[in-house]
Amino acid sequence: MASATDSELGVDATPWTLLRGKASHLREILRPFIRVLRANPLTLIGFILVVIISTTALLVAIVPVISQVVLGHPVLLTPYDPNGISTDYSQAPSLKHLLGTDKLGLDIFSRVLAALPLDLAIGVGIAGFALLLGGGLGLVAGYWDKPRTLGGVISAVILRVTDVFLAFPSLVLALAIAASLGRGTGPSILAVLLTWWPYYVRLTRGEVLAVKHRPYVVAARAAGVSEVRILFRHVLRNLIEPLLVYYTLDIGTVIITFSTISFVGIGVPLDVSEWGTMVEAYEQLLLTHPWTVLAPGAAIFITVLAFSLFGDGLRDILDPRSRRTLVQAVAATTLPGQVAGAAEA
Amino acid sequence: MVEPVLDVQDLSVEYEAGAGTFHALTGVSVRLDPGRVVGIVGETGSGKSTLAHAIPRLLPEPPARIVSGKISFRGVDVLDLPKWKLPLLRGTGIGMIFQEPINSLNPAYRIFDQVAEAVAVRKLRDAGESPTLFPAPEPHDYSKGMVVKSGEALLHPIATKLPGRRRRARREALMQDVLDYLRLVRINDPETILDLYPHELSGGMRQRIMIAMALSAKPSLLIADEPTSALDITIQAQVLTLMKELMEEVQTSILFISHDLGIIAEMADEVGVLYAGHLVEFGPVEEVFANPRHPYTKLLLRSVPAQYKDDGPLPALSGSVPSLANVPPGCPFHPRCPLMRDACKTNPGPLLEPVKGISARTHLSACYYSDEVARMA
Repeated sequence: MASATDSELGVDATPWTLLRGKASHLREILRPFIRVLRANPLTLIGFILVVIISTTALLVAIVPVISQVVLGHPVLLTPYDPNGISTDYSQAPSLKHLLGTDKLGLDIFSRVLAALPLDLAIGVGIAGFALLLGGGLGLVAGYWDKPRTLGGVISAVILRVTDVFLAFPSLVLALAIAASLGRGTGPSILAVLLTWWPYYVRLTRGEVLAVKHRPYVVAARAAGVSEVRILFRHVLRNLIEPLLVYYTLDIGTVIITFSTISFVGIGVPLDVSEWGTMVEAYEQLLLTHPWTVLAPGAAIFITVLAFSLFGDGLRDILDPRSRRTLVQAVAATTLPGQVAGAAEA
Repeated sequence: MVEPVLDVQDLSVEYEAGAGTFHALTGVSVRLDPGRVVGIVGETGSGKSTLAHAIPRLLPEPPARIVSGKISFRGVDVLDLPKWKLPLLRGTGIGMIFQEPINSLNPAYRIFDQVAEAVAVRKLRDAGESPTLFPAPEPHDYSKGMVVKSGEALLHPIATKLPGRRRRARREALMQDVLDYLRLVRINDPETILDLYPHELSGGMRQRIMIAMALSAKPSLLIADEPTSALDITIQAQVLTLMKELMEEVQTSILFISHDLGIIAEMADEVGVLYAGHLVEFGPVEEVFANPRHPYTKLLLRSVPAQYKDDGPLPALSGSVPSLANVPPGCPFHPRCPLMRDACKTNPGPLLEPVKGISARTHLSACYYSDEVARMA
């Protein structure tokens, strides 16, 4: 009985094959992505590193919180409490302490790992804020720049304010702000936040100026499309790719700048695990206990490198020209079936 | 007398540039009756594209400036419209086809999305959901001669699988129109190209898409700004054949701009000849080409190479086109004109007067001595 129903319905009707159909569809969507990764090993390395780093950061950040709620006490993913002083001081890397310990007996590996969520969030968050604020202002300044109009005045104001910020090297300005606000995680985040967006204004405005005179923008205008819609659909859409690539590359730069502020000694306080602070705190130990300095330094290096490699490859992935294979593959695999279906009908 | 779709009177446009003022158009008048095709022919830099862009107010202002004149489109004074109303004029009112199809299609969108945008603009206006300058006109039956296979496109593999409910709903709502217009421009199985990007199509296909986009808004006036100049010669022929067929099917009024005399002769009912921003001759196309009544037109036609003939060097106009920054006073053509008299150096030619000595009052020339042109050697 059961087998008869099976043959009547055919294999197509089983939930398993439907699921498999969905999976193959997902594969089609991911195909250009996979293709670029396969063609470019560096992008692949960057991508894998970004995935590992982000996942680790997320787990390190949320597992203690979740376990606090569920179990009543926090479960740390770091092997030791990053701020727990122990008697194992100044130990070289070993199986017990993977990256050794410092003078206070703090486990370096635990501290590096504990710093990951903070540093990554700072990189992603500050660059993201700069992208949104600077990108938005740059869009306005680039699109409505006709002199002697309200838009022109607004855009001139935006650009002059930007110029004031750009007149200082961003690191110097960030250091000055951080120094005047006093030591602390919040103030140093604010310092980088305040100095970072002007670059995005310049970048976005330049791209808008280039795109807004393209013939397809004129063509859209000729088709009766409203200015606001042109701004979002035709101008902004063609900015997303360069901006996103720049953003990804920029995450590393933000992390370095933030670490530098900490390294100079006016950033994150010493009891908070942060890579730049760690390098600063252990600086004198470079010759005697090199692992204490090299571990956070390597963490910065790997994270920045991962985002740079990934950012470079992102351009290829986002370019519609690389999606050609998607269409061809789908057409090749599904059209014959359709033709057969049409013939039966 | 029929109400003209487009009535341009005495239009003058200047460009302010660092080097000075360029007089791109000086006192140009063009009148376009419903269902007619008016060709504008001229050399590079004669102001053809400026005219095409000035009518739907697409000129970048500044540097361009409309100095004087009147553009009346279906009774609406275009130059009087506030800026925010201009999008309402375009698309459904005045549609445009541009010179370079690859640059005029947004590289980030699939063909469906490109055409659907134009369709959506028109549908919203027809349904009264977005403001419009003109009550939804239905002057022509666009579906004439179209074979419509309904619904089958929805089975297209990607079409059915695209993520997002809103996007799918939008796609289904606009799909039929998009397919109709792609078929209208003789794309045989439009379903297969809906999800391609512009760079994946040939030049001819791209220009067909541009034409489909322009027509799908159902404009009362279509401005074609050198639609075939960027295409190679065989594709040019295909696109021109297509446009000719569409003219009969769609019956829209067209302002056809080209530097190619042959194409104008083929496509247009009436022709205007532009020289250095001045309209020097205007009239029925057979009349103007067979019996030119302005020295420039006459010499221009003479320089068209004859086929299958080899009699030495091609005849060419002596001298060169004046710079628009420095148009000669009087008649702009006088330094090169064999009929030039002293008066031509100071008196600007008449603003298009009926040609002397022939009965047709529709043949206009900007030459005082239009009766002598016929006898010109």
